Amino acid sequence: MMLWVTLLLNSLWAAIPAVGFGMIFNVPRSALPLCAVGGAFTYGFREVLMYNHLSIELSTFIAATAIGIIGVFWSRRYAMPRPVYTVPSIIPIIPGTYAYEMMISLVSMNSDGVTDALLSSFIQNGLHAVSILFAIAFGLVLPSMYYTKRQKPII
Amino acid sequence: MLKGFPTISKEEQTRITTVVVRVAAMLLEYGAESRLIEQLSSRLGVALGCTSIEISLIPSAIVLTTLIGDSSVTTTRRAHEQPINMSIVHQIVTICIAAEQNPRDIMMVETKLANIHSNPYPAWVIIPMIGLSCAAFSHLQGADWAGVCITFLAASVGMIVRRELSSRNYSLLIVFAFTAFVCTMVASLSFYHGFSSTGSIVLSSSVLLLVPGFPYINSMLDAFKGYISMGWGRWTQATLLTLMSSLGIMLAMGLLDIKGW
Repeated sequence: MMLWVTLLLNSLWAAIPAVGFGMIFNVPRSALPLCAVGGAFTYGFREVLMYNHLSIELSTFIAATAIGIIGVFWSRRYAMPRPVYTVPSIIPIIPGTYAYEMMISLVSMNSDGVTDALLSSFIQNGLHAVSILFAIAFGLVLPSMYYTKRQKPII
Repeated sequence: MLKGFPTISKEEQTRITTVVVRVAAMLLEYGAESRLIEQLSSRLGVALGCTSIEISLIPSAIVLTTLIGDSSVTTTRRAHEQPINMSIVHQIVTICIAAEQNPRDIMMVETKLANIHSNPYPAWVIIPMIGLSCAAFSHLQGADWAGVCITFLAASVGMIVRRELSSRNYSLLIVFAFTAFVCTMVASLSFYHGFSSTGSIVLSSSVLLLVPGFPYINSMLDAFKGYISMGWGRWTQATLLTLMSSLGIMLAMGLLDIKGW
């Protein structure tokens, strides 16, 4: 029971960055609530999957596919291109920290010399960042790959 | 000439071409993905009376040809770097749908294009909101409450710096590096007298407002949908932005002699 409350609270926290980054990307005002819902849903869904012992990449992929499919319905209904909803919604699961840590170990390898710790931090963080990013992008692309079979565009 | 269509003179075709390439260039500048650019411009062109539109995209320019019967007009436009603006992309989609409902009404499209407004969010909304976003990130990664407050402060100051520099038309790379520098400087307050016990989380999450999410996602989407060169261009741009932010962080950490995250 306690676990579900924590999960719900964390999802609410994840809705804030979705709205904030939606504002940086200047999404239309009417789309902001949907961004919040999408962000909370994506983060919460990924947490649930990870709690059930799926790897972070696989959970990210499934969560991104889910928001991609939801985005198709929203974009039909409100006549907006899908990135308006999907990109702010996946912001809470973007591997930003991994990417920065990879770059920082790269720069410090240059200044302090190559050590085993720096090299392994570079490779590990880089692989994490790239594979999570791949999972997100492939999940977002899957629905539109289905829809390109039918020639009519989504909106 | 094509059956069912009244003749379109060369001047009129040039006018249509100008409108369509303007739409395509705006979409490219404000951060739409390549598939959307190609689809929207060809839909708009067909709605305005063209037989078909051929378009070739590279990250900094657009080459576009309108075909009407057997006469063709080709033009090139350079795309200038602009901050991402989904509101403008949405307005262009609306214009395109309206043009499909009233075919061959180029006057309507031109007036609507001239009236596109970027309606940005006011500073007093966006600055605390970005501060809150980064604070939420640091809370999700397990920072204590003092750390969350410092992240809020650092990200808000960073957003102010980013807005000020962007409005002075500095290159995006410079803006990112300097903003990351300021964010890290403010975030290092958490090490002052051990104010927060989770200083490294504060440092890493206060720069998350600089994550180039849109370029990364757009580059992957482009590459997956068959626009390989656009994908590479946007990927390079996003990587450069990340590298410049890391340089800003490194500079601040070197000045303050902070070791590690």
